[in-house]
Amino acid sequence: MSGQRVDVKVVMLGKEFVGKTSLVERYVHHRFLLGPYQNTIGAAFVAKAINVEGRVVTLGIWDTAGSERYEAMSRIYYRGAKAAIVCYDITDSSSFQRVKFWVKELQSCEQHCRIYLCGTKLDLLENDRSKRQLDFHDVRDYAEEIKGRHYETSSKTGQNVDELFQKVAEDYVHFTPFQVMTEENGVDLSQKKETYFSCCHH
Amino acid sequence: MAADVQKKKGWEVQNGSLAPLDSLQLERSESPTPSMMQGSEPGAGQEGTMFVHTRSYEDLTTDEGPVSMGLKKGDGDQIESDMEQISKDFSELSTKLTGIPMDMEEELRENDSDQQEKPRRDSVLSSGKNDEDVTTDSWRRHKKQVFVLSEAGKPVYSRYGSEEALSSTMGVMMALVSFLEAEKNAIKSIHADGYKVVFMRRSPLVLVAVARTRQSEQEIAQELLYIYYQILSLLTWTQLNHIFQQKQNYDLRRLLAGSERITDNLLDLMAQDPSFLMGAVRCLPLAASVRDAVNASLQQAKAKNLVFSILISKNQLVALLRKKDQFLHPVDLHLLFNLISSSTSFREGEAWTPICLPKFNASGFFHAHISYLAQETDLCLLLVSTNREDFFTVSECKQKFLDRMRRRGSYQTLQEALRTPFYSVSQVGIPELRHFIYKSKSSRLFTRLCLPSPKIEAPYVTKEEKERLLGLYQYLHSRTHNSSRSLKTIYYTGTNENLLAWVTGAFELYMCYSPLGTKASAVSSISKLMKWIRREEDRLFILTSLTY
Ligand SMILES: Nc1nc2c(ncn2[C@@H]2O[C@H](COP(=O)(O)OP(=O)(O)OP(=O)(O)O)[C@@H](O)[C@H]2O)c(=O)[nH]1
Ligand SMILES: [Mg+2]
Repeated sequence: MSGQRVDVKVVMLGKEFVGKTSLVERYVHHRFLLGPYQNTIGAAFVAKAINVEGRVVTLGIWDTAGSERYEAMSRIYYRGAKAAIVCYDITDSSSFQRVKFWVKELQSCEQHCRIYLCGTKLDLLENDRSKRQLDFHDVRDYAEEIKGRHYETSSKTGQNVDELFQKVAEDYVHFTPFQVMTEENGVDLSQKKETYFSCCHH
Repeated sequence: MAADVQKKKGWEVQNGSLAPLDSLQLERSESPTPSMMQGSEPGAGQEGTMFVHTRSYEDLTTDEGPVSMGLKKGDGDQIESDMEQISKDFSELSTKLTGIPMDMEEELRENDSDQQEKPRRDSVLSSGKNDEDVTTDSWRRHKKQVFVLSEAGKPVYSRYGSEEALSSTMGVMMALVSFLEAEKNAIKSIHADGYKVVFMRRSPLVLVAVARTRQSEQEIAQELLYIYYQILSLLTWTQLNHIFQQKQNYDLRRLLAGSERITDNLLDLMAQDPSFLMGAVRCLPLAASVRDAVNASLQQAKAKNLVFSILISKNQLVALLRKKDQFLHPVDLHLLFNLISSSTSFREGEAWTPICLPKFNASGFFHAHISYLAQETDLCLLLVSTNREDFFTVSECKQKFLDRMRRRGSYQTLQEALRTPFYSVSQVGIPELRHFIYKSKSSRLFTRLCLPSPKIEAPYVTKEEKERLLGLYQYLHSRTHNSSRSLKTIYYTGTNENLLAWVTGAFELYMCYSPLGTKASAVSSISKLMKWIRREEDRLFILTSLTY
């Protein structure tokens, strides 16, 4: 991490098994891991530099564990996030309850965090449309309501994955005052953590 | 195991420190003697200790301890007849658990003869008799079922089968558990139909093992205790108790969702890896100069809130640095080993997770930064911090460590050392020796060697073979630890191998020979092996305990 700067803190949220880790794997490593499901423990951090209109923006992605066990700790992972990718599994309607939970939580604790709703496992519908349990338009309406964005992705095929993260970075560039982007004002990770988190202390 | 440990004078805590006395350092004798003092054996730390020096399983001995309730037929006593009923329930339960009605005749007979105190024949020098081979046909079937339930009878964990399918079993369990009502931390066991059923109550949880292994109650209870600590490491004792105080019939599976894999892995590991049986930590053999370089790099990569920096490779300890006056407990380190080996998810990015080290402090979480040093390596670094906001600081420590290792070429050297197996048959010079475990009691470290043999194809490499060998060691271990004598030796002859165990106040040695070797040659090779271990001790063990 030394010398590396993170411009945008992005947090992945959502019920366990919805595919948060797979989404990050696809985006960062361009792969889809087969084999048994490995639930995330705590959270995993990975940084990825991305090009937006000729500028390099570094996303610092926190892939959190969906297990309720970590819920009490979740704050440390989303605090100060500029973007939250809140995932649900389009073939599992129960996964949307957690979406609503996270949206509420973010709205009350992180007003400056933009919300991206992400329906995962789109490829599962390819052979069997009836597997869909969450209507595209219903979710889209909900996204508008909360002033968030909405994507449907497949980590298996890669469909829409790059687009989602690209949008996160673009929104950051477009909606953040330019001076934050300059060298002097970027978050220096060698600084003490108090500085880093200072904007979001409560 | 606790009993003989307590007898040893060298174990006594002096001034709150268990560092070996200086006078002992002088006599690090070349060859082993039964009277070798703890702290002077090969592998003993030279400058203080690395781990907490408490007995690993004090929990098992400070309480009332395991109470064995063997069944005696025809005894009119009220409790006995209750127990008989339970035994009957249990035979039904047993068939339910495995789905295979078993012919337990033989196991039962063996177990019976096992329980009766046999004439002592565990001396290398005086005994000509052999113990029966513990290898049986049933070895490969489910040898041990483990349940965890809440005191209200709600299922928490089941090793095999879904908790729902076992709900009737849970009912039986609860009936049994009601026996433990009065005591909060009791351990009880029942022998029925060739099974040993061990109950452990650690309020608000009850842990049950149904085992067909040859382990003693204490050993099974130790494994249950590990499972209990495993759960604490995810939740903390405080949280666990708080939850059940709020709601007695809380369904803990909600909070433990996704952790079954970790517990499964722990049970599998305990059946294969001698670390748990030994209550000690296995060191990765490494040239002292390489280890020094690793230590120096770790030492340099410190931060205010770091408590432990631990480098491991495949459940072996490569290096450990600790904050001054803070000691890690081997049990906590075993739990960390298990956590890391149970999931590939640590290979993705840098993990930052709350973790409770229950032996260190069961009431709170540390935050652990966990990452592999590279994509294609087994070297995994754990940085344990007290501050949950510390991620970026700790992450930088890792980078500093790695940078320095790379700059000085130490990383390359370490990787090479990992690739080239350090041990070889010719080095040890005992052709019949196939495998051994040597544990230094004072440092709580052990080393293990599996010697490739030209005659047999890859012995003790497959899961089955590993489990079988550990079963044999387990058997020797329980034989050497359940007697009050302080010097114990056992020679065991089996069809596939011969074994020798030697347990003294300072060390434990378990050797596994070709079945063609004779007892005399085995005995005479002990001192050769011990000399070799002494000669190589700075590679085989971590002799100095470092702080930041
Ligand atoms: N077919 C298909 N399967 C997917 C997709 N994304 C994830 N999966 C599968 O869904 C399961 C869960 O995926 P993960 O990415 O591990 O889920 P997670 O949200 O990170 O889960 P936690 O870490 O427990 O919170 C795995 O078996 C994946 O292979 C997808 O786009 N298509
Ligand atoms: Mg995940």
